[in-house]
Amino acid sequence: MMPVKNLTRMVVSNTLRSRRHFILSAFGIVIGIATFVVFLASTEQVGAVLEKIFPVEQVSVVAPRASLLGKDISKKLDDSIVEKIRSRPEVDRADPTAIVPRMALSFPAFGRGSFEGNDLKFEVGGFADGINPDYVNDDERTRELFKDWDSVKDDPNRIACSPPPKDPTEEVIQSPRAPGGSPKPGVYYNPCPHPERYYCDEADNQCHHRVPVVMSPTMIELYNGQFAKSHGLPIADTDFIKFVMKRGGLSAMRFSVGLGLTTVAGSNTTMRKARRIEAVLVGISNKSMPIGMTMPIQYIQRWNREFLGDDAATAYSSIIVRLRDRNQIAVFSQWLQDELDLRLEDSLGEKFATALFVIRLVLILISLVIITISSINIAHNFFMQVTERRRELGLLRALGAGQLDVLLVVLGEAALIGLIGGVLGLGLGLGVAHGVDWGSAHYLPKFPYKPASWFHFKWWILLGGLVCSTGFSVLGGYLPARRASKMQPAQALTQN
Amino acid sequence: MAAASDVVGSAHVPAIRLRDITKSYGVGAAKTAVLRGVSFDVEPGEFVALVGQSGSGKSTLLNIIGGLDEPDAGEVEVLGVDTQRASDAKRAGLRNHSIGFVFQAFNLLDHLSVLGNVILPAAFARDAHNIEDRGREALRRVGLSDYAKRKPGELSGGQKQRVAIARALFNAPTLLLCDEPTGNLDSETGKEVIDFFRELNAKDGVTLVIVTHERRVSSVAKRVIAMRDGMLVETTDEELAAAHAQRGGPA
Repeated sequence: MMPVKNLTRMVVSNTLRSRRHFILSAFGIVIGIATFVVFLASTEQVGAVLEKIFPVEQVSVVAPRASLLGKDISKKLDDSIVEKIRSRPEVDRADPTAIVPRMALSFPAFGRGSFEGNDLKFEVGGFADGINPDYVNDDERTRELFKDWDSVKDDPNRIACSPPPKDPTEEVIQSPRAPGGSPKPGVYYNPCPHPERYYCDEADNQCHHRVPVVMSPTMIELYNGQFAKSHGLPIADTDFIKFVMKRGGLSAMRFSVGLGLTTVAGSNTTMRKARRIEAVLVGISNKSMPIGMTMPIQYIQRWNREFLGDDAATAYSSIIVRLRDRNQIAVFSQWLQDELDLRLEDSLGEKFATALFVIRLVLILISLVIITISSINIAHNFFMQVTERRRELGLLRALGAGQLDVLLVVLGEAALIGLIGGVLGLGLGLGVAHGVDWGSAHYLPKFPYKPASWFHFKWWILLGGLVCSTGFSVLGGYLPARRASKMQPAQALTQN
Repeated sequence: MAAASDVVGSAHVPAIRLRDITKSYGVGAAKTAVLRGVSFDVEPGEFVALVGQSGSGKSTLLNIIGGLDEPDAGEVEVLGVDTQRASDAKRAGLRNHSIGFVFQAFNLLDHLSVLGNVILPAAFARDAHNIEDRGREALRRVGLSDYAKRKPGELSGGQKQRVAIARALFNAPTLLLCDEPTGNLDSETGKEVIDFFRELNAKDGVTLVIVTHERRVSSVAKRVIAMRDGMLVETTDEELAAAHAQRGGPA
């Protein structure tokens, strides 16, 4: 066999000298690979967004609703159920966050805050739940701040203080600010140390850390799609943290919550002794409830016990279970029904994932058909080339090229065309993706989970594109190369 | 080097040894016998002219000697290598290292420079060294030192053939096979080429086998082998003259 260096030099020289042949052969590959990578990258990105909305590796266990004579007799999700689930082989017992109970705030609560100069009042009861803080570890900030601050012993900031006076015209007053440069006399200011984080709790006249809450990205989408438009407020950036930081940081996203109060007219607004606490938004997390807010479960347990009794403090609204393998969902679901009379919450995510899988298969099939056609086109062009270059190939044989050398020269030319076509195809694909993203950013309206880019070009997609283009080109060039190598040099040299 | 099984082991090894070579083209009723049991030896350092009428089979025989074609039957030994039994790689190596070809149609690659054409055989040699220097030396020998960077399209027919000869000499072959090397040249240029071959044979001891119609070529050969209808024939000067006359060359 001829030296690789010489082979490479000859292949490059032969490929570049015939532009017509190169363009005819590479055109199909460029289109095919561009289609291939764009389809794969788009389905990859859609899949990633889908997994954000519906984490496919986890399921949510709920109790079917049942009532008798107006009384709720639904099965209670409590710690005994949690332990039974933990004992299942489908669950990874070593993972402390494999089973995460959620507890809903089961009594009315009424929130009040301000944002961009707007006085906001909103219902919290029914729109808040609690979760194990260890489960919410999305970033450094949530790991540091999303915890049960009231269980922290020896908090030096928990000092005595005077809560704000009652306002006879407002059931819940807005969260008071820290004093500015020249405090106005007679105005109540937050007297606690680190006023951006601590407030004076009226229950024990002591400074407490604000209750940390996280919200889901769905809330941002709702804000952008509905609230911001109707109130003339700025659209939140995709990077919500960046958006908030521009407006005074997350600690500015604080609000008061009137426990036991409601904004719903005609409701019983004083179900026990209503009281006011303060909360602060500490982050955005997919683990938060989609519509509402989520806080450390200990707060919810204490409040449910305070307002509704022990029973409400031990009943979970759902239990998130992460299975070892998503293929075990069916087995686990059957066990839940048979043994515990419980069920899995309907998983839209699973249905979407299946649909996406099928769509991806179809798109890959389409792009493979295009590449296969271009491979046949390459074969056709190379057959023509080999015929046109018979004399040249015969001469190479006369000068010392073996059959293998001729085979490798022609295959090398096919591979190089495939490689260059692949690179151009990747460029075209990236360009198309960029154009689609630009169009999406400028012309498509905002909607929940609208991605900044519709494509995720993972390294294996790009590499796969190149391997595919080169492989299919070599495949197309094989028969012509074989014919070239089998030609009798004497006959080839007599070609006119 | 040739493998032991491919090399004929004897004290006296002819440069070429042909025995009962037959070759035909076509199938069935259209089958035409081109060679019918041709046998002869060529000794190292010989200058042999292969003459005969068109279609007598001399070019086919030359291609078989050079491994560019295969006989239907018979034995072919070239420079001690049994080319019938040797692998394709072995035959390719033999062509690359030990055999030079000169064709009537020059067979230069137009996209390469003159020097690029001359050093083309080095592309297939694993142990090639000083390639450009050797290429320039080959061009100097044929008197084309100043033409290294030109393209074949810029050269005259005689210059093209000299480039083809330089290419054939690049690897210093021991056997040079020429198929009508002067067929496309005017008489003056043809004479220069023939003189060059005679000098090559005399000074370097290169074995030369030339297929030709031209008497002036065959007249400088040390030995003339005549062919008719695929067989070797006894030749007379008259027959030679007739053969040349049919071709239109000088008698």
